[in-house]
Amino acid sequence: MNANELYESWRGLEAQVICRHEFKKTGLTCSAVFTPSQVVTAVRKIYEAGYFLEDISVMQVKEGFLATYHFDSTANPGRVALRALSPEGRFLSITSIYQGAEWHERESADFFGVSFIANTNPVPLLLPDDFQEAPPLLKAEKELAAMVDLKLFGENPEIIDPAWSSLVSPVKEQKEEGAA
Amino acid sequence: MSGSLFVNPFHFSTMHENPGDMLGDFYTHNFEKGRISHDSMIINLGPQHPSTHGVLRILAELHGEYVLRAEPILGYLHRMHDKMGQVKTPWQFLPNTGRVDYLHPIAWNWAYVGAVERLAGIEVPERAEYLRVIACELNRIASHVMWWGAFVLDLGGVTPILYAFEEREKINDMLQIVTGSRLTMNYMRFGGVCADINDRFIKMAREFIPRMRERLEMYHKLVTGNVILARRITGIGPFDPDLCYRYGVTGPCLRGAGVAYDTRRAEPYGVYDRFRFDIPVGETNCSMGRYMVRMREVEESLKILEQALDQLPDGPIMAPKAPKATWKLPAGEAYFAVEGARGKIGIHLAGDGGKSPYRVKLRAPGFSNLSLFAEASQGTLLADALAILGSLDLVIPEIDR
Amino acid sequence: METILVPYTTDITLLSVLKLVVALVAIILLLIANSVVMVYLERKVAGFVQRRPGPYEVGPWGILQTVADTVKLLGKQILIPGNSDRFLFLLAPVLSMFPMFLMFLVIPYGPILTGLEVNLGLLLILAFAGMEGLAVIAGGWASNNKYSLIGAARAVSQSVAYEIPLILAILALAFQHGSLDLSVLNRAQEGWIWNWNIFTQPLAFLIFVITCFGETNRAPFDLPEGESELTGGYHTEYSGMGFALFFMAEYTSMMLVSFLAAVLFLGGSNAPVDIPLINGVWWTLIKMGAFMTFMIWVRWTFPRVRFDQLLNINWKWLLPLGLLNLWVTALVMKVVGN
Repeated sequence: MNANELYESWRGLEAQVICRHEFKKTGLTCSAVFTPSQVVTAVRKIYEAGYFLEDISVMQVKEGFLATYHFDSTANPGRVALRALSPEGRFLSITSIYQGAEWHERESADFFGVSFIANTNPVPLLLPDDFQEAPPLLKAEKELAAMVDLKLFGENPEIIDPAWSSLVSPVKEQKEEGAA
Repeated sequence: MSGSLFVNPFHFSTMHENPGDMLGDFYTHNFEKGRISHDSMIINLGPQHPSTHGVLRILAELHGEYVLRAEPILGYLHRMHDKMGQVKTPWQFLPNTGRVDYLHPIAWNWAYVGAVERLAGIEVPERAEYLRVIACELNRIASHVMWWGAFVLDLGGVTPILYAFEEREKINDMLQIVTGSRLTMNYMRFGGVCADINDRFIKMAREFIPRMRERLEMYHKLVTGNVILARRITGIGPFDPDLCYRYGVTGPCLRGAGVAYDTRRAEPYGVYDRFRFDIPVGETNCSMGRYMVRMREVEESLKILEQALDQLPDGPIMAPKAPKATWKLPAGEAYFAVEGARGKIGIHLAGDGGKSPYRVKLRAPGFSNLSLFAEASQGTLLADALAILGSLDLVIPEIDR
Repeated sequence: METILVPYTTDITLLSVLKLVVALVAIILLLIANSVVMVYLERKVAGFVQRRPGPYEVGPWGILQTVADTVKLLGKQILIPGNSDRFLFLLAPVLSMFPMFLMFLVIPYGPILTGLEVNLGLLLILAFAGMEGLAVIAGGWASNNKYSLIGAARAVSQSVAYEIPLILAILALAFQHGSLDLSVLNRAQEGWIWNWNIFTQPLAFLIFVITCFGETNRAPFDLPEGESELTGGYHTEYSGMGFALFFMAEYTSMMLVSFLAAVLFLGGSNAPVDIPLINGVWWTLIKMGAFMTFMIWVRWTFPRVRFDQLLNINWKWLLPLGLLNLWVTALVMKVVGN
């Protein structure tokens, strides 16, 4: 299954936003946003399509924590990304599908203080077990950028969940905020 | 002891005055929860152990010499490059990339520079692209040769690593001309490379190619044909493609499993689409397969190097609009992947228009490759588990980042 | 039958005791000198194999390197791990070194140069060779270290396994020459080079060489140490002179098997040509040195075998071959003898 077919299949998986990207500019072919619980279904679909997990990159944005799962395929090269936004940083683990995700999730949990429910071994990975300080990659309130400022969704995102329209497309008042 | 007149003649010193010190730490306790057998032995391989190539620690539950299960413990060399990437400007962070993987620093240079260029839309001059290929492939050969020596060292053969160093020194001499350093190289710049090659470099590289081919033959005669080595690694640690996909294993380990996947081919970056080279795949998916893949990759790198030297165009080595130190990264997100000696190196870069990137995520190939070890080592002999570990080609600073 | 079991020197005279004392002192000096030379030789040969100079800083050509090493080892603190068996821990290195002296007593260095002439010399050597394994087990057990324990466990099965083919190979020689006396075996190889046992018993020599590496725990059979797996194996916890004694014991057992190889298979003190005038102790020493260099060369060339492979080589190849060799030898001797 190539990226285009995946793109079509995401519609049936209750994706919130689906976007195409220009590979030369972003390194992605297409991406989709799911709810943290729905993303597991999408990941299973991707696993069945023969993709492998590249990494899980969590990012703190104004709206909360955005986990980006990068996948690539050996048969149909072209990176696809699944995203999940969780305001309080609680995600579902995908270790039951991709066992390699365990370390990526533990690393993200170390760095951001987010949690991946049902991770098979939820202990610190890179930071010491008695690390007392705040998670190191958390940003101060004023440093946070909104998702729309980071231009995560490509040129013409297809918004399926109407709640996301304000988060994705640069509406006026947010644009002013971002400029300021 | 203290204050007593009687001194035990056998008492020279005691390491653990408090027996509680020997009961294990947090990770041991966590590991013990999953204990399979009651008469098993839990052993710490590392953080200081000759076969873990640095400060990796592996907790293993042994039944006799059999590994019931193993769990790598990371973080002994953790330097938080992700955070440094966020608080430093791209220019300040660039030297860090050479310190992530000390055996293939040029590839990490390229991954970061490439991500920034992709995000900012900087065009790189043709000559600079060729120079990048030359430096990167030379460095890849050095890394593979070094692995070869270290792997045989893991299997108890002490001599090959000193032969390997000979070639590595030759490559380092060359790379020193252009990068100025021999270990933590920082060759690339946003929009080009920092120095052009000179005639001496070209002469050395031209001489190196046939020499390396000869040496490879010698390597094969010396080590590959050895019956003890063949018996030690053939059939040990078979990885099938599905296992590799589940753990995100890339690079020679994935190719060893029979999947012809190379980032240089799959998503060509730089000028890699202009070279003719094969992607070696393993005939057997065991450690021997991975061994042969790496040895053949050296040959392929030599081919690329030869073509790059032949095709090398004239021209500038820096883009005219190359960013200055005060330059601000534009807003947006980019992912750039290159093929390192150990697999796919990826940089996920997000910018919000500020001085420093909003988020830098380093995807280390060794990190994913090592995560497979827990599953691959189950039920093997201790010596085999360490052979598998060696065949993964670990560089701990890269894994811990 | 009974006459065989009676040693030659039944009467204990002052002279025989004096001879024994002189021999023991000479052997101790020989063993210490051997360790000093061997450390240097091993490092130089390793350097030669690996195309580097080896030690060259201390003294001319680095010949004083071993002295410097010895001073360093003497100055090292002896660490005893907590909760360990302190007595056994300190006893083990001593136990590994001292039985060695006795084994050197019965080796015929020259045609008449022997510390103690007994007609059961081979048996004595084989009996005391087992002590080495005991010391390794004691050291590994007493260290209270899991690596040491695994190393000790490996040493047990390895020394048990490799002693059997060793005995079978040597027994074939005893059958051939009808004696367990090393001096008799030495004299039996007089004459031209084809009288040497390596040519009359090639299979036994092959088995003997392989078991030598197993018995002395040298690479490629250095599994009780197994540096890349067990960090240091049974001597992981030893430092200073404790470590040095284990080290010396390794070189001493190397020298022992080299002397045995020289005396049993390589003609001993006999020259390769039939000129009895030039026979002498120098031939034994040359052959011993050549065999030791061979062992060093092997160590720096081959990777280590795995433990199950080590035992497979022994039980599936060496043991049946040794039995076959013994059987053929017995048959031939019976036919020829009749």
